[in-house]
Order: sequence, then structure tokens, then C-alpha cells
Amino acid sequence: MITYFDYHSSKPVDQRVIDAMQPYFREHYGNPSSLHMIGDRATRVLEQSRLSVAEFLGAEKDEIIFTSGATESNNLALIGYAMRNRSKGDHIILSEIEHISIHNIAKYLEKQGFSVSRIPVDQYGQVSVKKLAARIQDKTILVSINYANNEIGTLQSIAEIGMLCRERNIVFHSDAVAAQGLVPLDVRRDNIDLMTISSNDMYGPKGTGALFVRSGVKLQPIIIGGGQERGLRSGTENMPGIVGMAKAAEIARQDMAGDVKRLTAYRDTLIKEILQRIPRAYLNGHPVMRLPNNAHFRFDGIEGEALLLSLKDAGHAVSTGSACSSKTLEPSHTLIALGLLHEEAHGSLQLTCGRFTREEEIAKIINDLPEVVQRLRKLSPLYKEED
Amino acid sequence: MKSTQYSEKVLDHFRNPRNVGTLEGDDVATGRVGNPVCGDLMEIYIKVESDRIADIKFKTFGCGSAIATASMVSELAKGKTLDEALAITRQDVADELDGLPPIKMHCSNLAADALKNAIHNYRAKKEPASDVKAPTECKRILNAEEFVGRGMYLDVEDISVFKDKRTLVYDRGDRSVDLAAKATEHTPRVVYVTGSKKEIFSKEWKTKLTDAGVKILYESEIVEIAGADDVEKVRIHNLDEDEEYDLFMDAVVILN
Repeated sequence: MITYFDYHSSKPVDQRVIDAMQPYFREHYGNPSSLHMIGDRATRVLEQSRLSVAEFLGAEKDEIIFTSGATESNNLALIGYAMRNRSKGDHIILSEIEHISIHNIAKYLEKQGFSVSRIPVDQYGQVSVKKLAARIQDKTILVSINYANNEIGTLQSIAEIGMLCRERNIVFHSDAVAAQGLVPLDVRRDNIDLMTISSNDMYGPKGTGALFVRSGVKLQPIIIGGGQERGLRSGTENMPGIVGMAKAAEIARQDMAGDVKRLTAYRDTLIKEILQRIPRAYLNGHPVMRLPNNAHFRFDGIEGEALLLSLKDAGHAVSTGSACSSKTLEPSHTLIALGLLHEEAHGSLQLTCGRFTREEEIAKIINDLPEVVQRLRKLSPLYKEED
Repeated sequence: MKSTQYSEKVLDHFRNPRNVGTLEGDDVATGRVGNPVCGDLMEIYIKVESDRIADIKFKTFGCGSAIATASMVSELAKGKTLDEALAITRQDVADELDGLPPIKMHCSNLAADALKNAIHNYRAKKEPASDVKAPTECKRILNAEEFVGRGMYLDVEDISVFKDKRTLVYDRGDRSVDLAAKATEHTPRVVYVTGSKKEIFSKEWKTKLTDAGVKILYESEIVEIAGADDVEKVRIHNLDEDEEYDLFMDAVVILN
């Protein structure tokens, strides 16, 4: 039996989504820009899909821009807003634990002459609203804080941050990819101006995403062409992808309560059993304010890649924040921002569950993990029983 | 190529490492290289009889290739004369394992270096630990005074100020040990920084701190305190490796 605990990296597409997409490859192949009846039909479907995604976020239909995925949405939000509104100011605020795409876009904007402040988080990964408020300057134009962290699953006080930004007249962007489908999103309630979501993160096809752009917020496009998506995202619309994303959003709204209930029970079992069965094991992230599908641990004295490989041998697909498994050989910036030492960050294990996780998978990893940790600790010069 | 794309031979040595353990005795020498900060630390123990490596053991904290290279080096060196063993290179180890992912050739291929270090230590008849420079006195810490009242403490009257704060306590003897241990009643995260080496740090203090759940950083000193308003980051200098890195902290205590 193979178990899968890497839902933050990739999700299988829901069969109901595949069924909805099927006709849009051969039967309904029209381009919404065409003026004939086949094009007209495509336009109707495109706008219905836009409405479904808008309803998922509590937005208006015309506030949704379809993109190729979350990375593009983040690029359009930050680069598009900063470049268009430079005359208002050149200062941007993020947290230390944004997704890597946000951090790298911010570095790009710094090279373009913008200044960027990065707000530290507390030991559980939460942004302090007070610290954020203290960093706001007259020239601050944009704040970008993720809804929930993609590694440790900590939820942010989004409504409070939204309120603060509204009061100070600053545009607020939130990357909601990790949270979508697990937390009810409402851009009006939370005073969000720009929000990134992806299709695959709610069991839709990859290669599709969306950006919510509050009406009145002006962006500069980052892809120039035939002027689709109100001129903000040129290129012929990916109709099968968009139809799939819309279906995925409808299912997510319907199934969220059930998904969350089941996932919360799995998560709580994982956390309770693993901390109980393994000595010197710790939970990373917030004990309560965390995504219902995320359990993130660290174990003294062992290294995450060795742990991942051993679990792979035992039939488990997991993920780690260890440097040794990354392209840059740097440990996860999120774990370091929690105040962890490098060797602690190296020993981390991320387990994320999803809609298709089965109870047997939970039982199997709880059963296998203590032995694997013990074997690696026997090899380790850093782990001594008496320490 | 993925950093974890390993050959079958690497995976075999990772799954069934040979010669794991430690050795003791007068004819035993230890080699230690790497740094847990980078995610790799390797110790190799050799037992020498009439100029030959009669027995060899290792312990490693590291990724898959770190474990495999240590295991392979222990096989290659066993039975060899010290000169023959000194000639074993990183490339030899990688070749014997049918190659390593390019990104791992430097960071996780420390085994040959650890073996050389052990042989040098045997020949010099000394333990590797003895050549580590222990700090004599604290250097000036950048910005320490500036942050007093904003997360930096020279004196603590009410320990509950550390509630839920990531707290770093600098070694100032008994009082600082007591304070660090007590602080854990208010916050789950307390780090104790001392210039001492692990081997010479008081056993009693160590027990007190670890029992309370305090993380101890040996052979380290504080270089600088930084933050926009309050303390946010502390720059730490690791004396053993002569490396600097940042720790995200909310409070720092350096008792007068």
C-alpha cells in the first residue's frame, strides 16, 4: 500500500471535474473571441465559469481574472499593482513566511527600485498586526500576506489585516492557495483587494488559476497580446482548464464542511499519536490556528531527507523542509522564521492530507514512523538518549 | 536532476549502512567534520593496529548521500595502512557508489575528509576537540544597549515578561541557567547560548536546562541584535565553524 501525504504539492483531479471538462476538448472547442455561434457559446461558458469562481470567493463576476496558475496570479498582483501605482508610493510589505514566488517577485521589485519590508512572525508563524501597522509608511502602497502558510499551515488574522489596510488606504493582496477549499473565503468580509487562487489546489486541473481584482483596483498587465481578460491577461482562454476550475470551485463549496470535518479528525490523530509515540518530537506551526489538513513535525537528531527516503522505502510519500532535498540546499525560510535552528529545520516532516486520504493511510504512517525515526537516530551523532 | 536521484548502490548503503557505531580505547582516534547548521555532521572512529586500520565505525547526521558515503568509506578503509587510507579521495568514494547527484558532491561527501581527519588525529595523538578555540571573554555585542526596554534585558525582575516570547539567554553562569529554566514555565521556546564546548559545559547545568526543555547552543556567541522596533533577530557566531547565522527571537537576556 502506498500512502500519499503531499497534498500541498499536488492533488489528484476530482472525477466530477474531469467529466465536466471532457466536452471542451473536442465537442465545444470554440474561442470566446470569435464572433460566430461557436464562439458565442464559448463566451457564455466562460462567463458562467467566472461566476462560479467569483461566488466561491464572495466576489462579483467581473472581478475574476483567469490565469495559468497561482504563480502567474501572484506576479500579476504584485508586479501589476506596483508598476501601475508607482506614483502613489514605492513601499511594499510582506511577511517573512510568504510562498517562495512572492519572495522572489519582491526581490525583482527591489531591483526595479521599490523598497520591501518583511514582517517577522511569532514562534507559531503568525504575523503580528501591531508590528505590521508599525511598518506602514506614507509611501506604502501594497501589503501581501498569505491566508495560510503553505508549509506549516498557520492561519493569519486576515480580517484584522484587511481592516488595517482599509483604514490606511493600502491595497491588500492575499495568496489563498493553501487555504482554499479548507476555509470559507470571503473577500468582502475580509477587506481583501487582490486574492490568488489556483485550480489544482481544489482538485481541478493544473495550469489554471485566478486572481480576484476588486473593482476599482488598477493593474498593469504583465502579459501583452490580444486583450483577453479585460486586457489584464492576454492569450486565448484555456477553456477546458477554466471549466474544470469552475466545477472544482462548485464542488469545494458543496463539500467543504464534510472535507474539513474528516480532515480535522485525521490531522488531530496524526498530531496526537506521533507526539505521543516518538520522544523529542515537536509540532511546528500553530496548535489551533492551523489548516485542517496540515500536520508538521520536527524530530531531534535526524535529517529530513534521510527521513523522507526511509519513509519512501516504507511506501509513504511525504515532504520535508530540509535543505538537503531542496534545489538550493537552503533550509525552508518559513521554518527559520519560526526561530528554529538550522539543524531543527533540517529534521522536519510535513504531512498534508486531502479529499482522498483514507483512514488506513493514517494508521500506516503512525505505525511506521516511530521505527524509522529510531533507526536514523541510532546512526546520528547528534542524538544521545541522555541529552 | 533531482537532488535525491540516487544510484542503487547509494540507496543500498543508505538502507543498510555498514560499520555504524563508535569505538573507544587508546589506539582509537576520531575524525569529525561538517556542521549541523548545514545539515551534515560526520564522525569517523578508527582503531589502529601496527599502522593498519583494524576497525572503523561512523555516525552521521545528514541526508541520504551523507549516510551512504560514510558507509562506503568505512568499507574502503578497513584493513588499509594509514597511508593507503589517506589516499582515498571524495571522487573515489563517489565512483565506488556509481556516482552522486552533482549538487551533493561537495556538501554531502564529507566521509573521506572525516577519515583523513581521524588519521591526522591519530598521528598527532590528540583528540580533535582539543584544538577548538574556546572563547575567553565576550566581545562587544552590536546594538545590545540600544534594544534595552525593547526586548533586550540586562536584568529580570518578573519572569512572566517572557510569556510566549522566543527567548535567548546568554551564558552568565548559575543565575542565567536558573532564569532560562524558569522561563520555560512561560514560553515553550528558550535557547541558551554559551561559548563553552559541550564537553566542558557543567553537567549539572546541562541537565537542568535540558530537563526544562531549553535548547543549548554550545561554542557560540552573540554578535548583533537587530529589529525594526523591538528585538527581531539575533546574529550568532559559531566559534567551532567560524560561521554566522540569524535566529528569529523576541527577547534576549544578557544578565549584568
